[in-house]
Order: sequence, then structure tokens, then C-alpha cells
Amino acid sequence: MTAGDLLPMLVALPLLAAVVPLLVARRSRRLARAATVAVLAAQVALATAVARLVLVEGPIGYVVGAIPAAFGIGLLADRLAVAMAVLVAVAALGAFLGDRSPRTGPELALWLLLVAGLTGVVVTADVFNLYVFLEISGLAAYALVASARGADAALAGLHYLLVGTVGATLYLLGVGYAFVATGTLAMADLAPALAAAGHGSTLVVAAFVLMAVGLGVKLALFPLHAWKPDAYAAAPPAVAAVLAALGSTVAGYALVRVTFDVFTVAFLEAVPTVRTLLLAVAAASVVAGGLLALRETDVRRLLAYSSVSQFGLVGLGIALATPLAVTGALVGLVGHAVAKGGLFVAAGTFARDYGARTVDDYAGLAARTPATGAAVAVLAVSLVGLPPTVGFASKWYLALGAVEAGSWAVAAVVVASTLLSLAYAGRVVERLYLGTATGDGADTATADGRRDGRDAVGEPGTAPGSVPSGEPATTDGGRPFRSPLVVAAVAAALVVGLGLASTALADWFAPVVEGWL
Amino acid sequence: MTDVVSWLPLAAVAIPAAAVPLILASGARPTVREAWTGLATLGTFGAVAAMVHTAGTETTGLGSIAGLGLALRADAAGLLFALLASTLWIATAVYSVGYVRGLDERGQTRFFAAFAASIAATMGVALAADLLTLFVFYELLTLATYPLVAHAGDDAARAAGRKYLAYTLGGGVLAFGGILLVGALAGTLGFVPGGVAGLATADPTLARAAFGLLVAGFGVKAAIVPLHAWLPAAMVAPTPVSGLLHAVAVVKSGAFAVTRSVLYVFGPETAGDLGVALPLAVAAALTMVLAGVVGLRQDSLKRGLAYSTVSQLSYIVLGVALLTPVAAFGALLHVVAHAFMKITLFFAAGLIYVETGEKYVSDLAGVGRRLPATMAAFAVAAAGLVGFPLVAGFVSKFHLLLGAAASPHPAFVAAFLVAGLLKLLYFWPIVYAAFFGSRERASPASRHPFAPPHGHGHDRSTGGLGGAGVDAGPTAAGGPTGADRTGDPATVADGGYADRAGRVDRADGVGTAGWEYRTPTTESSAFLLVPVLFTVGVAVVLGVVPTALPFWELAETAVAEVFG
Repeated sequence: MTAGDLLPMLVALPLLAAVVPLLVARRSRRLARAATVAVLAAQVALATAVARLVLVEGPIGYVVGAIPAAFGIGLLADRLAVAMAVLVAVAALGAFLGDRSPRTGPELALWLLLVAGLTGVVVTADVFNLYVFLEISGLAAYALVASARGADAALAGLHYLLVGTVGATLYLLGVGYAFVATGTLAMADLAPALAAAGHGSTLVVAAFVLMAVGLGVKLALFPLHAWKPDAYAAAPPAVAAVLAALGSTVAGYALVRVTFDVFTVAFLEAVPTVRTLLLAVAAASVVAGGLLALRETDVRRLLAYSSVSQFGLVGLGIALATPLAVTGALVGLVGHAVAKGGLFVAAGTFARDYGARTVDDYAGLAARTPATGAAVAVLAVSLVGLPPTVGFASKWYLALGAVEAGSWAVAAVVVASTLLSLAYAGRVVERLYLGTATGDGADTATADGRRDGRDAVGEPGTAPGSVPSGEPATTDGGRPFRSPLVVAAVAAALVVGLGLASTALADWFAPVVEGWL
Repeated sequence: MTDVVSWLPLAAVAIPAAAVPLILASGARPTVREAWTGLATLGTFGAVAAMVHTAGTETTGLGSIAGLGLALRADAAGLLFALLASTLWIATAVYSVGYVRGLDERGQTRFFAAFAASIAATMGVALAADLLTLFVFYELLTLATYPLVAHAGDDAARAAGRKYLAYTLGGGVLAFGGILLVGALAGTLGFVPGGVAGLATADPTLARAAFGLLVAGFGVKAAIVPLHAWLPAAMVAPTPVSGLLHAVAVVKSGAFAVTRSVLYVFGPETAGDLGVALPLAVAAALTMVLAGVVGLRQDSLKRGLAYSTVSQLSYIVLGVALLTPVAAFGALLHVVAHAFMKITLFFAAGLIYVETGEKYVSDLAGVGRRLPATMAAFAVAAAGLVGFPLVAGFVSKFHLLLGAAASPHPAFVAAFLVAGLLKLLYFWPIVYAAFFGSRERASPASRHPFAPPHGHGHDRSTGGLGGAGVDAGPTAAGGPTGADRTGDPATVADGGYADRAGRVDRADGVGTAGWEYRTPTTESSAFLLVPVLFTVGVAVVLGVVPTALPFWELAETAVAEVFG
């Protein structure tokens, strides 16, 4: 197996392995879960191996079935793609481990399909193929969101399905127009072909706008963001974590690819209206997301609006299209994925063990779960963008890029976003540490915290009223679960580590960014 | 001075930081926990002291964030601040032990851990080699001190904590904007004595905007009016916190950062050319006077000290903004002098609270009998703040006045003199009442002519300008007696004076029948008293033989570097 063969394995492994838990689950759920974890771990190893290859040899290409890339499916792993592939693999593993609830065979299969789809989006070099993988991951996501029991989840899943399908269809329309204009679907060929067709031509502009709007739906940019809070709040905790970490992140990556690899920065310069529109939408997302988050009481909805704001920042970086700004957007994608994933894992822990869903419910929880509380605090710091976290690094690059491009309004928006996120994230952390816990002397009476009666996202495995002691519920042979805490702690360590290593991260992306700009 | 790569700057930051997990882990055994704090204080002091008299300037590189290098560098100004903070941490650590045990405070482990973290951050601010490193540690300082401000956990503490965070993190955002601009204009963020070259040639409007953002952002912690409101509110924190952090570390970090911005980023020449120093000086002068006036009206002792801090910090800012060597020298000396004097006052206030339960100036008549050594130290420190010779404040104020007189704007001399007078008007009656007033008998000596007793009129907690209320001033002849305070402000609606004969003191068990006599050896625990005497002693040494301590030389070196 040559080096290049590893690349398609990145997609093929989770795709084909999705069958395994489906079959094994008939025998034993625990075995099926273990198999899934094994596949996810193998995916991490595979992605790291490919990344190392790319570091040594440069970008790797692959053509599926030896059909020429102009007509067939090409895969490309450059530095950006492998970084995202590693991120997808790690975040998926982390989110999966972050929730201990047992899952059915179909759910496990959907997890692996989701990972396959996301990884496919990341490594593909063909715009139509991107749509296919986008839909694979989307369908898996819709089903996973609805897999929580209850009407909320079903409704949220349906909403997500409708909105997501519309978005993907818009993207497909855009791809169609691009095909009509150029006759090819491969990214490498599209770039010169679109230039030849004329960046200013209506067809090309329409193609871009449709593709961007379609991806914008997936990114939940304002005003196409309404599906996000419902979906993230209603989904099971692990699903919410993986979607928060990866769903829009991969769509953001796709937008970066489409903008800079397919249409290139020359297009943005030829059609300044598009750039202005993108800037405006992104800036509106930043502000609207922040303001909406301020008013939220449900923590997961708050975090969802926070994501809207953060992806607005990414959009600003893309629209500015200078090396520093784009670097900031890419670093921001990575950083946000880790931070948001960790926060959702922690939120899931709080919801499950203490029945805490709103900001007020979080009062004083840090006293009962000091390590998780500390992890949440660190992750919130990254969200706000204070040094030395990766959130600060991405905001610095963005703001500096804005200043050097002379775009004072954008710089002001970036700086103002820090204030907004301070307000909403600070509220949560403050409640966590300084709120007075409702129901004191609750060290012994966690039975209070279970509140199975109002648990809309009930777990199939736990029997109501089965927890007399103060320990968090165990569902697997009496072992107390620490995995969510570990995941959250690792995420917290990563945001600081990535921040301190942010120069190296930016250097990693530099060849790609310079190639575009 | 050549740069020498060394681990000492990193040690000064890392030792207190390393103490944090150790303190958290030994929460169940207070003696071990206190031992960790003690070891960390001595270690930090040792690391800083080792750097003071060396020939080279120690630096430690810390990697980079977002393409910008982070580094620590122990130059003269940084060492001055670091030496000050580490010395006072030793004193405060000892004092804190006595204080939290004396009051049996809850959450002591979190308290000591957050303290250590705050010192680590302060060391980072002091020894930062560039704006970004300073900003990183500056924000970490905010985060580390927040649990200390909100320590009490009740509504007032939480509100104060929220206000503190809102102001300081908001200021951080402004400072971030300023750093961004400086980075874009000058291409570098490193501190250069005398200013970064790129800023001299940059677009003046942008350079002025950068200066304004930097100074406004850092000015929040330096408590320049109108950004000062968090400081009086933060007085809900335990007294050791108020003392070290809010009289020394946090606020001095703000003043220090402003100093770095004016002298090491923009430099005296560029700042003068841009014309930005004069507005800053005016703001500082206004702060000095306004804070002095508002502070006069504070019956809560700690709030009065807070306003005094606001006022004194602007001495430093004004000294720096005058852009002359003598004024800058005075400012740097004042960083040290004010720290020792103010912390003495805060320690004394805390000691009074632990021993007698009193928080208000109007309740302190005659307390000099009960706490002779403490009040003597208070008197000496207050005298120093006013500017009496033989105490540290005189030396620094002398240089500030000289510098102001020699500067292009001698009118600022008046600001210093007026501020000093206002301080005298506030502190002298307190001291006089403590020694010559008495609680059981009404006497003119027992009443503060400016600060109305807290039981009268509305709540003075807003601290706004011209806080009104029924004034029990010197003109109210017939009513007030020595016992005219109410124990419960909520019962006062019409300004009538309820008797508080039934109230019993916490420690004394004596009612309004006067304080009992104590001698210095019996007035309080050694944990509390010895730090007070230590800090006031240093303040006196600084006043009598200022050159004996390293601060003088460090300030001289710093000024020589900046002004050439």
C-alpha cells in the first residue's frame, strides 16, 4: 500500500466500518460501542499518518477508480485538509467518549457515517463530490439529532432536515451553474476555467452566491441561523457536541475551499459586491449571535448562538482575504471546534448528572464538579478570546489582518465581539462558581439532581429512581464514568496548548494560504 | 546593560504559579497549605532579589502566540515593581493567615490559591518584555483576582465582582485595540526605553488613537476617573486582598502598564510631539482632586482608603505624563512609597475589623487605646501619604513636585498640593479621634468633620460625587453624642438618632463604655501586627534613608535608560 493509498482509506474506513456496529449490536451493545470507539481511534491514527505524509512529501492527490479527475472523483490532501481531517477524527472520538449513554446499533452506524461524510468533505477535490459528502454527513446528522427521545428532538431534527436540505440544494444549484459555465467539476480545473469564463459573468457570480448561501446555511450565518439553537439543544449530548464541534466547522472549511481554491481571490477582487455582502453577513452574524446569546437562558442554546457569532468571525476572515485574516479564520475554525466541543461535552455532563440546563441551574456547580468547572472556565476564556488561548490567537490574526487591510469597521467588530462573548460566557462561568446551589447539602442527595421526570431527552439505559447515592449515575457495570471530565479537560488543555503553539499552527497553514494569496 | 538569558525571570513567575495546585491539593491541612504559601513567597522574593544587583538584564523567552514573541525581561523598572510586589507578598501572606483565621473565613484554600495565582500574574506584568506579554499577564491578573473580590459569595460580593470584571475586562478590550494599532503601526511590540522608533514616524492620528486606547484600557486598573468605579466597589473583598491587590498589585499593574506605554512604547519625545501627554496629565490631575474630595465623605474606612488610592495612583500617572526625568523618577518612587504606606493603612483597617469589628470611621473614636501600635502605624503611614518628611511619601512627592515645577506646565504643582491637603483633611481627624477622642463621651474630637457617620441619610455605597444625606457635621450642635450611630442603617428614615447602647463589641465584649487599654504586645495577634509594623517600618526607612534600599537605584537606572 503506497502512501497515496492511505488517503481514500480516510473516507473508506468509517464508511465501510459503519456496518460493523449495526451487525455486532444484535449480539452485544457494549461490543458494538467498543467497535465504534476502535474505528474512531483508528481514524485518528490514520489521519495523523496522512498528516505526517503531507508534512514530508507535500500535498497528496488520489483519483478514485483511476477515472481522470476531470470526470471522476479526486481527493486532495494538502496541509489544510489533513489538519481538518485530524480535527474531525479527534473531535468525533472525543465527543463520542464524552457521553456514556448506551446507543443502539443504528445510532453507532450513523456516527461512523457522519465521520465518513465529514472527512469526505474535507479531503475531496471535486465540488460535486463535496455535495455528496455534505449530504451524507447531513443525513446522518439529521437522524442523530432526532435520535433523542421526545417531540423536541423530532421537531428539531425535522427543522434541521428541511433547512439543511434546502441549503445543500442551493449549493448543488451553484455547482450546476459552475458546471454549465466550465464543463468540469474538479476543483483544480474549475479555477482556471472559471477565470476563463469571466469572473464577472452572471453565471459565475450566481454560482458563487448559490454555493456560498448553501454553505452559509450549514454555517448558520445570520439570518440563516435559526436551526442551530433548536438542533443543538434538542440533540442528545454527544450528538450536540460533535455537531457543534464539526458540523459548521467543516462547512466553514468548504467555504474557504470554494472561495479560494475554486473561485480564487481574483474573483473577490473582480466582484467587490460579493466581498461586501459577505463582510456584511459575517459582521451581522457576529453581532446578532452575540446579542442573541446574551438573552438566552438555556445553556446549549446560548452556546449555539455563540457559535453563530464565532462563525461570523470566520466569515470576516474569509471576506477580508488577506494572508493574516485567512490565517485567523483557519486558526479560529480549529480553535472554536475544540472549545465548543469541550463545552458541549461539559454541558451534557451537567445536564445528565445534575439536571442543569439553564444558566440558573448551573449555580454553584463548580463546587460539586471542580475539575469540570475549571475546564469550562478555561474553554470559556478561549471563547472570549483572552490570551494565552487559541481563541485569542485567532482574534489577533483576524484583527491585525483587518487593521492592515485598512478595514477599521471589521477590526472594531472583532474587538467588540470579545466584549459580547465576555458578557454571555462570563455569566455562565460566574453562575458556575459563585451561584448558591439550589438545594444545599446536596452532596448526598443527587437524587434531586436527576429529575428524571422532566428529563425530555431521556436515556434508554437508566431506570428512573435508580440512583440513591451521591455518585453520578453509572450505566455500565457499576464503574463510575470519568470520560466526560477527561474529554473536557483535554479540550481545555488543547485550547491553551494550541494557543501557545499558535505560531506553529499558523506556519502549518502558511504554504496553503500563501498559495492562494 | 546587556541581555543575559536566564531562568530567573521565569522562576519569579513560575514559583507562585506552581504553588497554586499545591495549595489547592493541601486544602485539608491548613498548616501544610500555609507552608506552601510561605515557601512560595520566599522563593519568589529570592528569585527577584537575585536579579536586582546583577550586571546583565535577565531575559527568558516564552515562545510565541500568533506569530508574536512572548518574553520576560528584568529591566530596572520591571525589577522595581517585581521587588515591591514580592516583598509585600511576604508581609501579606503572614497577615492573611492571621486575618482569615481570626475571622474564620470560609473558602480559605481558594483564597490562598487565588492569591498565589495573582502574584504570579503580577510578576508576569512586572517582568514582561513587550506589550503582548504584559497584556497576557494583565488579563490573567484580572481572572486570578476575581475569585478574591467575590470571595464572600453574597450578593454584594458578586455584584462587586461583576463590576470589577466588567470594568477590567472591558479595559482589556480597549488595551487590546491599542496593542493592535501599535503592532500595525510600529511592526513590533517590544518595550524600548525612550520609545519604539516606528511610532515616531507613523500617522499621527492613528498613533494618537493607539495611545488613547492603550491608556484608556490600562487606565481602568490605574483607576483614572471616570474608569475608577470598580475600586471602591471591590472593597467588599477581605482586607488582605484589598491591601495587596488593590492597593499594590492590581492598581499598580495598571499604573505600571501606563508607564510602560508612555515611556517605553511611545517614549517621552513621541508622546510630547503627538501632544497626547497633556490630556493624560489633566485627567490625572482631575482624578487626584476629585477622588480626594469624594474620599473625604467616606465613613467606611476601606472605601475612604480606596478613594485615597485612586487619588495617589494619579500622582504616578501625572508624574509619568509630565515627561521629565525628575517627575518620572518621582513617579517610580511613588509606586514603591505609596504601596508600603497604603498597605499599612489597609492592614491596620483589617486589624481593627478583626479585633473590634469596626469598619466605620465614626466608630473609631478612642480606638487608639485599644490598638496603640496599630493606630500609631496608621498615623505614620497617613502622615507619609500626606507628605510629611521622614516617611516615604515625602521623598517621592518632593521629586514629583520638583518635576512638575520644572516641566512645561508648572500649574500641576497645584494639583499635588491640593490633593495632599485633601488627604490631610481626611486622615488627620481619624488619627486625632483615635487617640484623643473617646467612644463613651461625646466630644468634638470624636467626630469627623467631613465624613458623615454611616447611619445617617441614605446609603453611601454609590460613592458618587457630592453624596448627600443628613450631615452630622460640626454645625449640628444639639443632637449627636458619642453614641449616636445606629447599629442598623435600615431603621433610619428621618435622620433621627437611635441609641445603640445595646450593641456589644465582637472582640471586647464591651458596650459603648469605651475601649479597654491594651499594650502593643497584647493588642492583637502577631500574625496581624508584625506585618503592619514591618511595612510602616520600611516606609520610614524609605523616608529617612531612601538610598539604602534598592528601589532608589532601580528608579534612577530606569529614568536614565528612558531619558538618556
